[in-house]
Amino acid sequence: MTEQITIGELLTARGISRRSLLKYTAYLASTLALPPLASRAMADALASTKRQSVIWLSFQECTGCIESLTRSFSPTLEDLIFDMISLDYQEALQAASGEAAEEAMAKAIEDNKGKFVLVVDGSVSTRDGGVYSTASGKTNLEVLKEVSAHAAAVLSVGTCAAFGGIPMAKPNPTGAVPVSDIVTHIPVVNIPGCPPIPEVMAGTVAYFVTFGKLPELDHLNRPKMFFGDTIHDRCYRRPFYDKGLFAKSFDDEGARNGWCLYEVGCKGPVAYNACATMKWNNGVSFPIQSGHGCLGCSEPNFWDQGGFYKPLSSWAMGNRALIGGAAAVGVAVGALSAAMARQQRNAAVTAATPAKEKQP
Amino acid sequence: MHVESHAQQRTGMAQSVLHEIVRGLTDLADNGTPSAIDLRSLPMTEGDRHELQEALGRGEVSATLDMAGKSDIWETRHAGVWWVRHMGSGDRIASETIEITAIPDILMAHRDDIRAASARLSADLAAAPSEPV
Repeated sequence: MTEQITIGELLTARGISRRSLLKYTAYLASTLALPPLASRAMADALASTKRQSVIWLSFQECTGCIESLTRSFSPTLEDLIFDMISLDYQEALQAASGEAAEEAMAKAIEDNKGKFVLVVDGSVSTRDGGVYSTASGKTNLEVLKEVSAHAAAVLSVGTCAAFGGIPMAKPNPTGAVPVSDIVTHIPVVNIPGCPPIPEVMAGTVAYFVTFGKLPELDHLNRPKMFFGDTIHDRCYRRPFYDKGLFAKSFDDEGARNGWCLYEVGCKGPVAYNACATMKWNNGVSFPIQSGHGCLGCSEPNFWDQGGFYKPLSSWAMGNRALIGGAAAVGVAVGALSAAMARQQRNAAVTAATPAKEKQP
Repeated sequence: MHVESHAQQRTGMAQSVLHEIVRGLTDLADNGTPSAIDLRSLPMTEGDRHELQEALGRGEVSATLDMAGKSDIWETRHAGVWWVRHMGSGDRIASETIEITAIPDILMAHRDDIRAASARLSADLAAAPSEPV
């Protein structure tokens, strides 16, 4: 249950020094792209704040999102996020089960009415009343409506919760929809990715706890501080793209030389995410660094966009020949790709507009 | 591989950071205003980082902090310019900043910690059996 003491008091009781908190906020400030000297004010704010109650519901998902969050943390610096929140309900992590678990959630809702943050991973089945995904005798659809009625905000974690994801792929047998199609009375923040980057999930929660408000969002309700740039913007292979040096297949000279993967299907130019800077597995690598193009997993409908290994232009422009000519002149490809990125973004805006308009 | 050679290239970013440090130092000297530069937010290659480290060097003070992972902090050859490197899990760099200040905040004991230490030490003394003189 949510403790009524402040985070500062909790840390003191656990023998964790304010230096540790200051170190954490230095890390946070860097992660959140805030001015480095903001860390002192953030540490003071956090120390005097009560822990944030969080209820986490899992719907049509693969558990990859919660795996991403928990597997990334060893009990060091990043682990401190768990001292900032009170995770009052999470099916995969909690010790309680059955009726005891459901009672715990009911009590957490009662104790924190209108204040708790609801985290959802997975899309919501709506066909035939949502019967294709149920837990404890209730459909996900019912539970989402019931719990979100008392929440302060919803964080839709993962591309399934944010945009429908794999369950929504054609022919969408369960009638899967994103959370924002159901929850329209409170802010819904989308943190897409398949799975999302753990620091992005933790950073968004930490921002809310520290500042008591949600971060600035983009047109798809994603936090701008993490989704402000494309993968392509921050890709270390970008210089090869600019020079027109492309791998044509996964085993040619270009691939061995680490050239740009645009022609083998990289969706980096239209994918907004932080993989290229934050990376994965404790900062070891990210897909492009491992030799595979970006799938664009943080974008709506990435699963039904015509093939992971087809160049952007082949499905965006319907003209495979464009690549052959443009590859010789990187600048030309750059201009083409930028135009396509704008088109893709505009299309995404249009697709997302109904959901966005429902936002208060 | 070409990728590795690219990582070693110097892009001029280190020189830009050095100019920013000069501006920060001037502000600190004239107005006492501290500032900081977040190195993780800059697209620096390994070559850039090496160039910056060489230019700043190491000065008289260095400290190692051991809480929630290791942290290395040292004053560079230039008084008031500190390199602050915090490590997270697996000794990976969690944040790395150049702080331009008389002394980084994190090296100073926080008043709440001092208060807790005072209470703890007092309690220890009160609980300890008095030694015969």
